Amino acid sequence: METTRETVLHGWHVEQGANMALFGSYHMPLWYRSGTKAEHLAVINAAGIFDTSHMAVVSLSGRDARGLLQRCFSKDLRQCLGRGPLVDGRAVYGVFLSDDGTVIDDAIVCQLAAESYMVVVNASMGPAVALRLGENVGGLAVVINDLSDRIGKMDIQGPLAARILGRVLREPREALANLAYFAFRGGFGDFVAQRPVVTVDGTPLLLSRTGYTGEFGFELFVTIERLPALWESILAAGRDDGLLPCGLAARDSLRAGAVLPLSHQDIGPWPFLNNPWQFALPWDGGGKAFTKDFLGGPALLAASWNKHTLPFAGFDARKIGAGEGSQVTDEKGRTIGTILTCTTDMAIGRVEGQIRSVAEDPGFVAKGLCCGFVLLDEPRLPGDTVVLSDGKRRLTVEIRADVRPSRTARRPVSAMPGL
Amino acid sequence: MKEFDELLFNEEFRYTEEHEWVSVGGAELMVGISDYAQDQLGDIVFVEMPEVGATFARGEQFGTLESVKAVSELYLPVGGEVVAVNEALGDSPELINQDPYGAWIVKIKPSDTAELEQLLNAESYRNMLRG
Repeated sequence: METTRETVLHGWHVEQGANMALFGSYHMPLWYRSGTKAEHLAVINAAGIFDTSHMAVVSLSGRDARGLLQRCFSKDLRQCLGRGPLVDGRAVYGVFLSDDGTVIDDAIVCQLAAESYMVVVNASMGPAVALRLGENVGGLAVVINDLSDRIGKMDIQGPLAARILGRVLREPREALANLAYFAFRGGFGDFVAQRPVVTVDGTPLLLSRTGYTGEFGFELFVTIERLPALWESILAAGRDDGLLPCGLAARDSLRAGAVLPLSHQDIGPWPFLNNPWQFALPWDGGGKAFTKDFLGGPALLAASWNKHTLPFAGFDARKIGAGEGSQVTDEKGRTIGTILTCTTDMAIGRVEGQIRSVAEDPGFVAKGLCCGFVLLDEPRLPGDTVVLSDGKRRLTVEIRADVRPSRTARRPVSAMPGL
Repeated sequence: MKEFDELLFNEEFRYTEEHEWVSVGGAELMVGISDYAQDQLGDIVFVEMPEVGATFARGEQFGTLESVKAVSELYLPVGGEVVAVNEALGDSPELINQDPYGAWIVKIKPSDTAELEQLLNAESYRNMLRG
């Protein structure tokens, strides 16, 4: 049996009365005393912080670090920022595939310098990704380090994230101004910063404009022993603005409404095709070939995979658990697929059939909509309905191109409440 | 999650091992879920209730509770006919989190009040939770 692991904030979570549960091998907070709904809405209306130090980090350094990523990672680093190459201070999202085109894990790759990269992967996946990179080094000059359990990471997400974070930074304007979506500044530990970002108490951090909620915000990386003080100081800085600590339940419902996949649930041991995340692959303009050769790429091009991963949203908060015994059928009851994720986005509701968010109208009382992903044996288009079933209950849901409207993740820093 | 000594109990009610409660006395009995149950489930976002007039046997499923975490089945502590459902829960399912012993889900006319004797009183329910 695998041992249960704890993050450095575990004691804090328990002390705050969090409802704790196992996530992977980590004992993590599902929600705190304020409850999931309040936490979810805090990220839409104000801000929330998440302990994400269960996630793993692998470092790559050396002359051929970029070459190894070109070989193993799905993004073409020569042309992934528009048509331009990945450059210092920028990050990209992609996947690591097995040779057969199935998913090992998804990842964000951050370029600190031409010969230094930080690869952020999911909980417990550090060893697997480091191994995958290591077994493909083949003569390249690159040093790979699995930094699992040695990195402190927390996310601050929501429209007030910059304002609150700015209060704990020594030079907030320099750190935050014009920081683009998927850009980062600073560094920590072995990730040496060209321009350091430092908190008022002198903690160096790497501040990345990324996240897993679909909302404006940052992921913060520090050496592990610095995380509890950073957590407490940000919490204190945001308390009067409605900042809440948020658990994994709110993280799950926020990301589902933002149509973001959970690795090993929405993407996993099946070909990474026919899903909403094809931007993670280096498709050329025609959609028939890739702009580079990479591990798993040839298998995808040759695959006869005809299942479809599609986002959906329901018509009220009711849901059908994604688990054994649940399935997707057509209106006549014929089985056409399985449920990958089914949760409730508490910030949205239907008005005359259209999905509305509290972000658009603070007076709107959202009752929540179930949403998530289905894996279907046949294609469906946005607007089509399918039926989720657990054998007893049946729930009609709508296939969607997108779910929660008016998300803030991509808005410029200058458009958000200021410092 | 509440510590054991923070959990609320209604000393007048009877409880099931599945954490429903039922009021005692009168021709109509109220049924809801315990403070322990709402704390475990987290925010309730939807309550699926039966039709007024429906009858259920003791232990039969009469509805479902949707929390952010899961879908939970509701079982009737004593058999009988549903004479009212709490319409307020349609707009405000969170009432169950806020006041678990005030936010009844259904009222039933019991077919056999002797079934109440087979349920846990507050003291036995407390002991069951204490383990």
